[in-house]
Amino acid sequence: MEFQFDNSSAQLVSSLEYMLGQITGNIPPQADKEDILFRCKVIITELLTNAIKHAGKGGTHFDIEMDAQKLIICKTDTGMPLYLVNTRNNTTKADGELNKRLISADFLNSLYAIWESENNIRFASEEGSLNDFLPVEQVMEHFGILIITRSSDEFTYAYDKTTHTNVFRVKINF
Amino acid sequence: MITIVKDAPKYIIGEVTITEANLSNSDAFKAELVKLLDEHQKILILDLQELKYVDSAFLGALVSSLKYAMSLKLDIVLSGLRTDIRDLIKLIRLDKVFKIYNYAEEASFAVNKM
Repeated sequence: MEFQFDNSSAQLVSSLEYMLGQITGNIPPQADKEDILFRCKVIITELLTNAIKHAGKGGTHFDIEMDAQKLIICKTDTGMPLYLVNTRNNTTKADGELNKRLISADFLNSLYAIWESENNIRFASEEGSLNDFLPVEQVMEHFGILIITRSSDEFTYAYDKTTHTNVFRVKINF
Repeated sequence: MITIVKDAPKYIIGEVTITEANLSNSDAFKAELVKLLDEHQKILILDLQELKYVDSAFLGALVSSLKYAMSLKLDIVLSGLRTDIRDLIKLIRLDKVFKIYNYAEEASFAVNKM
């Protein structure tokens, strides 16, 4: 299924409902339909919000593919690249893994970017350790990438320097 | 966006009247929350039962407002959340920083016992 979004906030909910409607009838019977729809709802909402914020006037293309094992949502635009582009550091290590960088953290969550290759990033998250004292002032206020990472089985971003194209790809296993 | 339906000695209950809270209105929503906290200087119980769609921008505005409330030695308490919005809040563990109740009455009872 393909869908073109005009990057206007007025069309956010109708675009979300349209794409969810297309997904609903095609979820295989063995999958947890309620769970899949919840995850799709929050993921597509965040991808639409990202488009409104960053994709500019060129419009955003959505491509949703499903088979018996998985659902893949791809969002493509030619807006500004993600701030992580060109920030790869080959010497950075976290938890012993090369090319992995902590991009945000508080006592609730940690979010990592993992460079699969140049300008091809996979996101990962971990739950933080809670203490008795909760320093609310340290809680982060930007949740878009975290929400998609937590809701999906795989979330990647790629930037094509030649075509100036951003591709967000989200995978949900059934 | 927020209508005050009860003004008690320790708290106020604000009904959120919008159904969609996202990037387009999150700044205005936060400004309204800050104004209510400044004017009333009481714990704010938000009744969110009308809310059907939220995004990360709205959640960011809520967290930012909670920080402001805490700086005033106050609090923002959430109630009436739809299941999927409550699940979203749990997904990113904001249920560890917000007090959440099923109904505004339940929240007001808890606030009175504090």
